[in-house]
Order: sequence, then C-alpha cells, then structure tokens
Amino acid sequence: MSPAPAALLLAALAAAALLADRIVSVAAIVLVLLVVCLRAPVGRRRLYLVGALGSGLAVFLLTPFVSNIGWHVIWSGPSVPVLGQLDVTREELRIGLFQGLRLTAVALAFAVYALLLDHDRLVQSVRFARRSVLAMALATRLVPTLERDAAGLVEALRGRGVEVTGTRGRARLLAPLLAGSLERALNLAEAMESRGYGRPGATRTPRPGWSTLDRAALALGAFAVAIGALWL
Amino acid sequence: MALAAVHGLSFAYPGGHEALRDVSLELDPGEVVALLGPSGGGKSTLLRALAGLVPHFHGGRFSGSVELAGMDTRRVRPADLAGTVATLFQDPEDQVVFTRVRAEVAFGLENLGTLPAQILPRAVDALASVGAAHLAERPVAELSGGELQRVCLASVLALEPQLLLLDEPTSQLDPEGATTAIELARESGAAVVVSEQRPERVLEACDRVVFVEDGCIREGEPPAAWLPREAVLPAAEPAGTQVCRLDAVSFAYDALPVVERASMQLGRGEIVALVGPNGSGKTTLAKLAAGLLEPQAGTVEREGRACYLSQDPGRYLVKERADEEVALAVGGDLERARAALAQVGLAGFEDRHPRDLSSGERERLALAAVVVAEPDLLILDEPTRGVDPPRKDELAALLRAHAPGRATLVVTNDHVFAAEVADRVVSTAAVRERVVA
Repeated sequence: MSPAPAALLLAALAAAALLADRIVSVAAIVLVLLVVCLRAPVGRRRLYLVGALGSGLAVFLLTPFVSNIGWHVIWSGPSVPVLGQLDVTREELRIGLFQGLRLTAVALAFAVYALLLDHDRLVQSVRFARRSVLAMALATRLVPTLERDAAGLVEALRGRGVEVTGTRGRARLLAPLLAGSLERALNLAEAMESRGYGRPGATRTPRPGWSTLDRAALALGAFAVAIGALWL
Repeated sequence: MALAAVHGLSFAYPGGHEALRDVSLELDPGEVVALLGPSGGGKSTLLRALAGLVPHFHGGRFSGSVELAGMDTRRVRPADLAGTVATLFQDPEDQVVFTRVRAEVAFGLENLGTLPAQILPRAVDALASVGAAHLAERPVAELSGGELQRVCLASVLALEPQLLLLDEPTSQLDPEGATTAIELARESGAAVVVSEQRPERVLEACDRVVFVEDGCIREGEPPAAWLPREAVLPAAEPAGTQVCRLDAVSFAYDALPVVERASMQLGRGEIVALVGPNGSGKTTLAKLAAGLLEPQAGTVEREGRACYLSQDPGRYLVKERADEEVALAVGGDLERARAALAQVGLAGFEDRHPRDLSSGERERLALAAVVVAEPDLLILDEPTRGVDPPRKDELAALLRAHAPGRATLVVTNDHVFAAEVADRVVSTAAVRERVVA
C-alpha cells in the first residue's frame, strides 16, 4: 500500500476512535492497531508501545482520582487537600477506561505511522502542503534519532567506565539530548537551505499512481470515520 | 572573469570573536583550491561565506563583499544560490533530510526544479560515481560513517554546481574512497574549494593552496607540518604482556554480519593501528575489544580497565563545563580532569561549555575524557577526525609517552597518523585471515 492512503487510513481510525462512544468499539480499534504495530521490528516498536500503552494505562488509573462522577462507589479513601474526598466509582472507572483506550488508539495510530510507513515516499507523494508534510516527517524521525543519540551517550559513558542506571541516571541525559537535538536541527536547516529548500519552482520525483488497494484503503478510511460518528 | 570574488571580508558570529578578518580571494572556473589551516582558524566560516550562509543563516557582523557568478551574496538568499554553489558540510550525520538514500540524493534536484524525468537518473548516476549505487535503497540510519559521507558527496555532485565547497569531505573515508572523492570533485568541472586536515589527500589534486589561520589568509608556503608525509605502515609481531585477546569473535547487527571469526591480540606497551575499508567492521571490532559489545561467537579476554573513545565527539557533551565532563571518568576528580585537559592542549578551557568548542576542540575534549582514566586498554576510534596536523603530532606524542603503561588500539583511516604512532598495523582483512589460516 502507498504511504499516503495508509496515512489517511490511520488518521481515519484515530478519528473513529475519538468519535465512537462505546468502549467495545474503541477497544476493537486499539486491538487492530496493536496487531499492525506488532509487525514492526521488536527493537524499534518497544518505545512506542511503552508510550502508547503506558499513557493509556495512566489515564485509566488517574481518572477515578481526579474526577467526581457517579454514585456506585467501589472504594472510598481519605480526604486529601486540593483533590478532596478520594473515592472510586464504577462510572469513573468506565470513563477512565474509555478515555484511556481512546488515547491508546491515537498513540498506536501514530506508532504505526512512525514505524511502518515510508516517510520519504509520503513526502514525495503529497500534492499540497509539502513543507508541512516534510516538517512532520522530520519531527517523526526525532523519536528514533533521540533514541539513537541516547544509546550513543550511554555507550560513550560506558566507554569511560560510567554506568547509567535507574530513572535518575537516565533523566540526567535529557538536557544533553535536548541540546543535541537543537544543534542538529540548526545544522539540518542550514544544510537544507544550502540545497535550495524553500526556493520557488521545486519539482518532484515522478511517483507511481494509486493502486486498487490504495483506493480501497481510502474508501475504508472514509467508512471508518462515518460509522465511528454514526454507529460505534 | 573570476567565478567567485571575496573582497575585504570580515565577519564575526553573533556575540562571538571575529572569525574572518579582511579576507580577499578570487576563484576561477574549474580550479581546485585546497583550504588548509588549524582547527577554528576560519576555514569553515569562509566556506559558509562563499555559500551565502554567512551572514544570511548565521547573522553576525559582516563587512566586505562576496560575489558569486555575478551575484552579491548579501542580496541573494542561500537557497537561490543553490545550484550555482553546493556545499558538503563537515558532519554527514547532520545534513541528512530523508530516511532512504535515493530520496536523499534527489532532494536537492527537486528543490532546483530539475525536470521530473531527470531526477532519479541523475541521483542514481551521482551515487554510482561515488561508488555507492548499491546503497540506493538502503535506509540512511543503517549506513556507516564513510558510506554516509559518500552519499552526502553524491547529493552535492548531483546538483552539478559551478562551485563546489567541501568541508573535510574525506574525514571518514578510507584512503581509496578519499582519493576517489577528490578526483570526482575535480572531474566534475566545477571550481572546488576543499578544506582538509589531511593535506596529503588533497595537495596532489589541487591547483593552489590557501592557508587560513586566525581568520586571515597567510601568503606563501604552508608551514612544514602541513606538507604531505609518506606513510610507511609498520609491520611487527605482537609484543608485551597480553592485555586483550579476541579469539575467533563474530558479531552481526540484526541479520547483517559485520565481524566474522576475527582474532587479535593487544599487549601492554604497544600501540596497534587497526585499518580497513569503510564498513569492514573496524568500529565493531573495537567495541568488542572494549567490552561495549558482547561477541555472538568466540571469546574476548581482557585485563584491567578498558576505555573507548567514540568517533563522534558529540557524545562527550553531557556536562556543562569541560572539566566536569572530563572528570566523569574519574569520579569527579577535577584536578585530574584539568591535568588531562592540559595534556590535550585545552588548558584554559576548563570552565567553557563543551558545546561552545569548535569541532577540533571537541575532539580533543573527548580524548581527554578517556585518557584521564589511565586505562590498561585504551581504544581510540578515528581520533584524528577534524584534528589538524600539528595537533595530530601532539596526539601521537601523547599516546607514545603513555604507551608503556597500557595497550593502545587506534582505529583509523589516517595512514599518516597510523605510521607515526603505531608499533604495528593490522587490517580488518588480516584479523580474519589469521583465523582462516
């Protein structure tokens, strides 16, 4: 499948997850995206899966404590400043699960986009807003680049006999990683400008036309959004 | 008529010192100019001025003028100069836009408005000309440093510019690749300005030499340290008590075998240079010796502490002061860190932020960050990348002075440096052949 219809299909699935109002519908979308995501190499998908599933789980766990909805109390806790009476109701759990699944679905759709789509072909295939798509592709590349940079920093530290352990040790790498990203962004911008990026009259590498599968993906995407809004 | 003319150019980066002072230079069509000079002396800034990136991209104080093919660079944006001038930057990792090689080479052609039907053929031709046609469909992230440098060179050659600016284009290439790169630049028909820290690679091919020091152009012959030297690689048997021994080790990244049944021995007191073509597994072998990678087959025996200097000095920028960065390897001992900084010629840089250092200074900071630990096994991966010849001599002297107390492995494509510093030279091909034999 070409990357443009694949990206549109993923966006449609994310939109359907946001439009649907039944837990089982959103869970089904999460399951589909999870299965697709598992096609990516183990080493690359780990970070995305931890992020997507971890953030969904966090929403599920925190929602009951920061909201005050429902009357079927399952657990009643102490009263704490600011938050007030801590209790967990069946309704809060349901809303937490629903919002957590929605977030997971959107995060997994991004993970599939980042891990499995050919961003070069995506940039080359768009007919409009090419700059925005290129910026998005470069931003997507930030995650694996940061991962590689972090691995490089850890390796260089190990090469000096310094082991990086625990959350605190890894947190210390955040500032140099951020500084390195900014420096790289400046260097990249300079290199792009020197290669004529931004001048008028740019052309594009010829691209193959859309296949039947691509058109089917586009139709499926539109269908997913429609049934997400009307029936799911 | 000159293709490019620089008249009385002075430039200072925002908040920085004057990087160029009253520089005047003319370049004729088709001529090849070697730009030599110490690290931080203004070579890269001069190249950026010729590309219009100074002052447009960097800002700063600019006086004088630069004219390129009749265009005043103060009035024409760098993107509009692209095609007339093309620049290959120092760090190949920081100039890659796309994830796959072919799209990367096509990027500049697309921006210049090349006819769509010509884009891919020109990209493929450029890749073939640098011996990288086989890389066309590979992801950029999987390439070695040398392979990536070839791809970046193809990206600028594909543009067929009138002026080609090359900032240390061979720093990660093996000798054969370096010779090819310089020849290709010359054969492109463009005027070429090539900044180099390995003069022997460029002096034969160039029409004239421009020596830049302290932001000024120095007239006359370059200093003796910059003249080409003959590299006679020493051949000797392993000596000294064994510190590290690799026995029939193999390693593969995912399904790609990089090192297969390689053996090597390093003794205390000897300096061994490991040489070999790009992508032949030098870095992987070095990491196996240092204990940063575990062999998937074979054994590695090691005595005492091992330290490994990565070929990317950007990995030694964790702390906010140079002395604290160096002290990381010695439990925060700032006295030892300052002594190590002085050893590599960075006395007075203790309180500088590592990111404020030039590329050559960063290289030396990284070196200080590993030698400070006084390891039993010191492994240096391409330690002369971006380092000027006088500093290389100092580095060789430093390694020789401390050689008796440890085993030293230098991974390098710089054969002049290898000949100067090493007791024996082994090639990646030889470490495999020993096992086969």
